[in-house]
Amino acid sequence: MFSSLLRRRNLTVAAVLAVGAIALWASRAGGSEVDFNEDIRPILNENCVTCHGGVKQQAELSLLFRDDALQPAESGKYAIVPGQAGKSELIRRVTHTDPDERMPAEGPALSDQEINLLKRWIDKGAAWEPHWAYVAPGTPNLPEVSDPAWPNNDIDRFMLARLDRENLRPSPEADCSVLLRRVSLDLTGLPPSPEDTDLFCEDPSDMRYEEAVDKLLASPRFGERWAGYWLDLARYADSNGYEKDTPRTIWKYRNWVIEAFNEDMPFDRFSTEQLAGDLLPDPDTKQLIATAFHRNTMTNTEGGTDDEEFRVAAVMDRLNTTFEVWQGTTIGCVQCHGHPYDPFRGKEFYQLLAFFNNTADTDRDNNEPKLYEFDERPEEGHRLIADLEKLEEEMHAAVNPDDFAAWTQRFEEYARDTDRPPFFEERALFPPVIRIAQKEADRRSPNDIFVLRSLFIDMEPAFEAMRAERSRLQEAIAELEPLTTPVIRELPAASARTTHIFDRGNWLVHGEPVEPDVPDALPAFSEDAPRNRLGLAQWLFDPANPLTARVATNRFWEQLFGAGIVETVEDFGTQGEPPTHPELLDALALQFSQDFEWSVKRLLKEIVTSATYRQSSHVSPELLDIDPDNRLLARGPRFRLSAEQIRDQSLAVSGLLSDKMLGPSVFPPQPPGLWTNPYSDLTWVTSEGEDRYRRALYTYWRRTVPYPSLLAFDAMSRELCTSRRIRTNSPLQSLVTLNDPVYVEAAVALARRMQEEGYDTPQDWLRQGYRLALQRDPPEEALEHLVTLYETALADYRQRPEAAAALVHIKENAFAGYEETVQTDYGSEPAYAVPGPASPAMTGSASPEEGALAVAANAILNLDAFLTKE
Amino acid sequence: MTDAAYRERRLDALHRITRRHFLKTAAAGFGGLALPTLAGCAAADSAIQGAANSVRGLHFAPRAKRVIFLHMAGAPSQLELFDYKPELHRLDGQLCPESLLEGRFFPFIKGTPKMLGPQAAFAQRGESGAWVSDMLPHFAKVADEVTFLKAMHTDEFNHAPAQLLLHTGHARPGRPSMGSWAIYGLGSENRNLPGFIVLLSGGKQPDGGRSVFGSGFLPTVYEGVQCRSHGDPVLYVGNPQGMSRELRRKSIETINAINQRDYEEVGDPETLSRMAQYEMAFRMQMSVPEAMNIEDEPQWVHDMYGTKPGAVSYANNCLLARRLVERGVRFVQLFHWGWDAHGASAAEALNIGFKERCDETDRPTTALLLDLKQRGLLEDTLVVWGGEFGRTPMLENRTGDDNPFVGRDHHTDVYTMWVAGGGVKRGFTFGETDEIGYSAVRDRVHIHDLQATILHLMGMDHERLIFEHQGRDYRLTDVHGKVVRQILA
Repeated sequence: MFSSLLRRRNLTVAAVLAVGAIALWASRAGGSEVDFNEDIRPILNENCVTCHGGVKQQAELSLLFRDDALQPAESGKYAIVPGQAGKSELIRRVTHTDPDERMPAEGPALSDQEINLLKRWIDKGAAWEPHWAYVAPGTPNLPEVSDPAWPNNDIDRFMLARLDRENLRPSPEADCSVLLRRVSLDLTGLPPSPEDTDLFCEDPSDMRYEEAVDKLLASPRFGERWAGYWLDLARYADSNGYEKDTPRTIWKYRNWVIEAFNEDMPFDRFSTEQLAGDLLPDPDTKQLIATAFHRNTMTNTEGGTDDEEFRVAAVMDRLNTTFEVWQGTTIGCVQCHGHPYDPFRGKEFYQLLAFFNNTADTDRDNNEPKLYEFDERPEEGHRLIADLEKLEEEMHAAVNPDDFAAWTQRFEEYARDTDRPPFFEERALFPPVIRIAQKEADRRSPNDIFVLRSLFIDMEPAFEAMRAERSRLQEAIAELEPLTTPVIRELPAASARTTHIFDRGNWLVHGEPVEPDVPDALPAFSEDAPRNRLGLAQWLFDPANPLTARVATNRFWEQLFGAGIVETVEDFGTQGEPPTHPELLDALALQFSQDFEWSVKRLLKEIVTSATYRQSSHVSPELLDIDPDNRLLARGPRFRLSAEQIRDQSLAVSGLLSDKMLGPSVFPPQPPGLWTNPYSDLTWVTSEGEDRYRRALYTYWRRTVPYPSLLAFDAMSRELCTSRRIRTNSPLQSLVTLNDPVYVEAAVALARRMQEEGYDTPQDWLRQGYRLALQRDPPEEALEHLVTLYETALADYRQRPEAAAALVHIKENAFAGYEETVQTDYGSEPAYAVPGPASPAMTGSASPEEGALAVAANAILNLDAFLTKE
Repeated sequence: MTDAAYRERRLDALHRITRRHFLKTAAAGFGGLALPTLAGCAAADSAIQGAANSVRGLHFAPRAKRVIFLHMAGAPSQLELFDYKPELHRLDGQLCPESLLEGRFFPFIKGTPKMLGPQAAFAQRGESGAWVSDMLPHFAKVADEVTFLKAMHTDEFNHAPAQLLLHTGHARPGRPSMGSWAIYGLGSENRNLPGFIVLLSGGKQPDGGRSVFGSGFLPTVYEGVQCRSHGDPVLYVGNPQGMSRELRRKSIETINAINQRDYEEVGDPETLSRMAQYEMAFRMQMSVPEAMNIEDEPQWVHDMYGTKPGAVSYANNCLLARRLVERGVRFVQLFHWGWDAHGASAAEALNIGFKERCDETDRPTTALLLDLKQRGLLEDTLVVWGGEFGRTPMLENRTGDDNPFVGRDHHTDVYTMWVAGGGVKRGFTFGETDEIGYSAVRDRVHIHDLQATILHLMGMDHERLIFEHQGRDYRLTDVHGKVVRQILA
């Protein structure tokens, strides 16, 4: 499809990398070898499979699997006759001169070169080959390099070998202060202290660098930084999502992730506990909390929704997320049809779904099942819960089948009576139950029957005493104020669900039943493994699985270098980008899974101690021209910090950052009037004390209204798993770090810190401010600019001391007294007006010097170097 | 042009930004004086315009200098608004023939659905005799101003991908949106406001998320900037108390002077981009609140649009759209959420929620057309109205027969959009559907054709507005798209 637009030339390295396959082809266009993956699949994917693939099979032709492609099409003709291009309809049609006959039907004709490739491929037998990512990595040979002294480890050998091919040289090592800042931000999300930097710069040897790395890896900040990343994949949020977006208490899961990273829990165990902690032998509380990974799916609490619909949506999300996170595979397409490009059939989606379809959660508003933890009198609490569970079982057991049948019949008649009371009243009574009663009895799921029986128990006079006892127990539990966390719980075998194929993805239309299994294109499921989530987790970490280690390694690499070796970290399929350094990816993946025994800290250490990572990020115009996106890494990574790093760094260098770890989410200041969800009266109440200054990952995350200053820097709403944040650069970001009271308060605090250090000239203060921010002395020119700014501000504030006071007391003044109401399409909601100029009514007093230093500090906290990992 | 020359020009354009005399211009007082900066925020660079075979800049004289795209997110039913099908009345309640369903897929319809007659009364309007239903009584009076595209079609049947296709030419995130392409190609007429502004109403972001107005692989300076009609019009646009505008000017000057020095040492073009963003942020601090403040509008204007200062509404956004294009904002994108009339709940019922959306939007949309016209802006401002796909002539009824609400499922094959103003015919209808509104019988217009036409009206050839990324040239219309010449005035 795109062939006419492709420029077949050695333009830039980026071009060659991106269409590596085609570039390789170009270099051997004259040769006789035809490689399916490199030559043929791109042609088919771009020109053919949109109509003849997994979604559409026009003319009954699909070119995804060889078996299918060799079948006669609707016309009875064979698209491909192996060994005989001349007899293959495909060749006849792509070379046809009649535009109505010529393929592709839409878009330009194939080039002569493409047609020749197809002909040669068919003549050679039309062999299909598996896509590279579905073949397990083998141990690659270490390449020869031009400069054996440069590499620190194997990473560098692969990197340098590639640079050698392009006639490029690596960059020198970064300046010691830049390097230490880079690795600190990467490993802990926070900058080093100026003292740490001074110490390292005294002797920036390999040994001292390694010591510094070890110290960072051991820091409790390490877990916070990496949890921040993992929570995007886990789609962690503090609310249920959808319209009302009600609150959800699930922060214990965040604790678990932070602690798991800090104790360097091996990645296989880390993954298995999240996917199937409840199925491990004698799981402890932490392992149960880990399963909340898959309770981060959204819950629809909107009145009248069918819980089964959203239960199914959550289960599908669990499968899609699992495959995106651990297999780099976009399996979600297969819900409705075969995968458009990759070798997964529709049925295989449902076989995978069957692994996840047997959990006890049913999209209830209360998010049950939950784990109950009691701070006080835990024994009593757990006894009460046991009593309650026992009582509920007894209540269901006590249901007389005849009475229930008779009641059900009456209820069905009521539900099916077209003259029954109006719909709205009925909805208020018992939302989805009516719908269950309207179903044919044999279409009701076990959960439907459970819901009906629960309603019967709630209404039947005979249960009155038991209901009273139930209320008493519930109240007693509530009095103990348990902390609850939604967790995954498997249904007992007796009430297990059967998974059906949904016709064209529609959950209401059940097709044939399926058993849990994995796709044919991937290694087979072990005979010995249980056919449940635990077995699936074991399968993911089976050494034969070609994807897990590569995908995980690539994710960690991407976090450090800004782009993965496979740029599409979420898609290792045929539509994803090919790896820039395939041998390196394989070598590192094998090292991670085998030598390092899935230790994330060892993997990260291997990467950050490489010479590749330690290069300076300075770039010449020539190199920029050849490799604008730095995919070859002939220089160090340089890119804007993440939303979390930006906030945390500003608070850290100004001394405001709280080092309090773990616990419930917090509410740092945000502009009023943002929480305007329809039908919701939740309000944002700003945290007091140190909770105002916690690290960004502890910020309350409401899916429909994420914290705006994080959102401006590309944080996600976390409705679904997100593998990559696309980095943007917009004036809105500048406005955040310039004007958001959180950042202005940081500037005020930094200004105070500059003076506290005991210097006494503006030059000293500002040099110190720059050092606190960037751990290096400012260039003289920069210092002069800062001093000029300071003096300008000072002159201004001497005229207007109240303005200096208003700025210095931003904490008290921001957003104060601006509540008002705003009319919206949905009624009136609170909002706020734009803050006015400083007025005498504002709190506090300050010297002109304090105000002027705050202005200069605000500038320092907005420097490109400060906002960037250099 | 040779590849080398093209590459050199791109690099040169990038470098030119740098030595630009931020300080010199700033010294002249930069609130009022135009600052040259990245193309996204400046007029198209004449050096680029002048080059042969230009990929950017005008390819020919534009008919529309500005575009207002009114996206009715959720996809309104054409069968209740513009595509009148009396035959559907007759078939109402009858089972849909199997022949219509074979090999077809709808997100929610199951089994054999019933046909659903029009849920509104229709009449022919104006001299053109266009059919417009009673659900849009105000718009009915201006039907002669627009061209109806009655045989629009798309490839995507779900909201997010369909919205992405409509705005980026591609169903998955990652490509630049139409507004971004426009600014990339032409720059902005106003150096103090973003060239591409987005206004949301209806209480929700578009299903396609922020990518629907994102810049994809284009530099992020071309991204749509979301503005709000209450509080800070753009979050954090106001200086903190005690920071005067003059002091802010001086502080941004300082920041960028140091950044410029760092750039010269480090060489990362991202630094230049950030400098441009700081300059832009400063100018926005002045110009955005001014443009977004509708309180200075006379009462008759408020009456005309149905606006209330400080409210968050589609009406306010329509008035803001007029104010923004008046100030030279090239591309204004409105999203009004809530049109997804499946009939699964009251909010999604054709006779309840859908009706409310019509009531909310009818007067302001009409006022926008009239207001642009009376100011002489409609001549060179293109207004586009429509959703991401259409609705089925069949009743959806996913929950069973007793559902008191009526609605229609998503339909990709045919639906109605309309365009008005800059360079398109007045009182014209293009495209026709069959007697039940299920398929087109002639003059189909694909999303890519619409995109090609919009770019054409703006003075750009969609086949020449290209950007090289990952080794190939990309364009808004991918490898598709034909300008719909029949609708050009």
